[in-house]
Amino acid sequence: MKLKTSYIAAAVIAAVAVASPAFLGAYPLNVARSVMTYMALAISWDMLLRSGQISFGIAGLFGLGAYASALAVLRGGMDPFLSIVFAAAFAGVMAFALGFAILRLRAMYFSITTLALMEIFRIVMHNLDDFSGGPEGVVLPEVIFGGNSSALYWLCLGGLLITIGASWFFEKSKMHLALTAIRNDETSARSSGVDIFKYLLIAFVVTSTMQGMMGAIQVQSYGFTTPETAFDGNFTLLPLAMALLGGVHSTIGPMAGAVLLGIASEWLKLQIPYGHLIVYGVIIILVILFMPQGLVGMARRMIRAGREAGAGK
Amino acid sequence: MSKLTTTGLTKAFSGLVAVNDVSFNMEEGEILGIIGPNGAGKTTFIHLVSGILMPTSGRIEFKGKDITYAPAHERSRLGIARTYQLIHPLENLKVVENVMIGSVFSRGKSLKEARKAAEAICAELELDRLQRDTAQLSILEIKKMEIARALANEPEVLFLDEVMAGLNSDETKQVIATVQRIARERRMAVGVVEHVMGVIRELTQRVIVLEAGELIAEGPYETVSKNPRVIEAYLGGAA
Repeated sequence: MKLKTSYIAAAVIAAVAVASPAFLGAYPLNVARSVMTYMALAISWDMLLRSGQISFGIAGLFGLGAYASALAVLRGGMDPFLSIVFAAAFAGVMAFALGFAILRLRAMYFSITTLALMEIFRIVMHNLDDFSGGPEGVVLPEVIFGGNSSALYWLCLGGLLITIGASWFFEKSKMHLALTAIRNDETSARSSGVDIFKYLLIAFVVTSTMQGMMGAIQVQSYGFTTPETAFDGNFTLLPLAMALLGGVHSTIGPMAGAVLLGIASEWLKLQIPYGHLIVYGVIIILVILFMPQGLVGMARRMIRAGREAGAGK
Repeated sequence: MSKLTTTGLTKAFSGLVAVNDVSFNMEEGEILGIIGPNGAGKTTFIHLVSGILMPTSGRIEFKGKDITYAPAHERSRLGIARTYQLIHPLENLKVVENVMIGSVFSRGKSLKEARKAAEAICAELELDRLQRDTAQLSILEIKKMEIARALANEPEVLFLDEVMAGLNSDETKQVIATVQRIARERRMAVGVVEHVMGVIRELTQRVIVLEAGELIAEGPYETVSKNPRVIEAYLGGAA
């Protein structure tokens, strides 16, 4: 019964999401794309977090995907849509290669290294003038799908759905056991036959692929990028805040957080154009202090408490 | 048949030799006691054979195959399982999932098969309500869960590192009976580290005694417990 309700709810939300362009104007669709992009990044960040690894490198893989896609079109004459697939794969391959080095690190050493990688990518793009366009960035000859706002929306939605699907797979398959065991106790995990490095590598490659894909979709949808926009720290900070607010170690938590904070951020941008980042920072601090399980965790606790109170009568 | 053999196994932590030149073997179906005073190197020895630590020198063979430097997860797949002196529950997994992971990752079973296997093992250990969080378990239940998790690997060699610690005498008896039955049924070699000598006497056919990392005596408990060197190791060189 409970399962059925949640499937119906998911189907309704999916139907509304797919049909949105029919009744939304250009501006709301643009906001929706922004929210969906952040949502996909928040989910992908959480997927790796389930193994206990905190990445600060979301913007790095996102920007890498953006540049890989843009340069594949500009320098390689690749089809724009194909370039998104290429960029996702490129980010995955890079993560695979880098993973061999950095997935041996743990806790803040891992986090700091991912943050440094992002900076390195940005500086490389900044300085490879001839190839990457340097600080001015790159301008594509045209926006994908001729800039049709419905098509752009569906493209972004597609990227998001792939990410949700991957996250759902992580929750329902043995990845869930492997990642949670690694997060809780690596020694126990090893003793039970979990090849820790292998599962960390899978998680890192898959999440980096998603992040690269979303970066590529973003650049193809706007038609230009610069090192500062592609590797914008917001693409690390916002998804992190969203996942924390919604509740980590789940798919639904980062989704809820992205909707709330994504829409709030649009409003905040208009209210305090230069100070809205402070609000995210305050949200992260408050959530960590008072609500470490996030909104979804709090809701679950309340439901459980309600049930126990009911059962007690 | 010899299941597990070590030859000259040594582990030094920058100068401190925790395990020194230990050679031993475990036979199929045997329950072996590993005793010695605190700091004798018993846990380090288990860390070495289960692959949690890598030895400084020496050799470890499992059924004749060299596994001296094999990673822990591979040894788990080959058939070496263990529990820990300090409990290691996976607190974000349900009890049944805690037990399942050995079946999934060591035996390559599907989630469905692994769940079934876990339920069967837990039933055998009389551990119920498997949908609970580990935080809701008593210490006896956590110990049972950890034994169940080790058994889910379907090991041929199993090490129990002080599983009786913290249990009362009834609970201890219950665990002893279970270990004996399982070892017999599955023809497993079981290594038991224990400070309670009653447990060692009742459970094991043979014991090895470690002191300051060295193997100082070996044989049935009754013989070893009369060995002057063993008595001295336990009581200190006061006399």
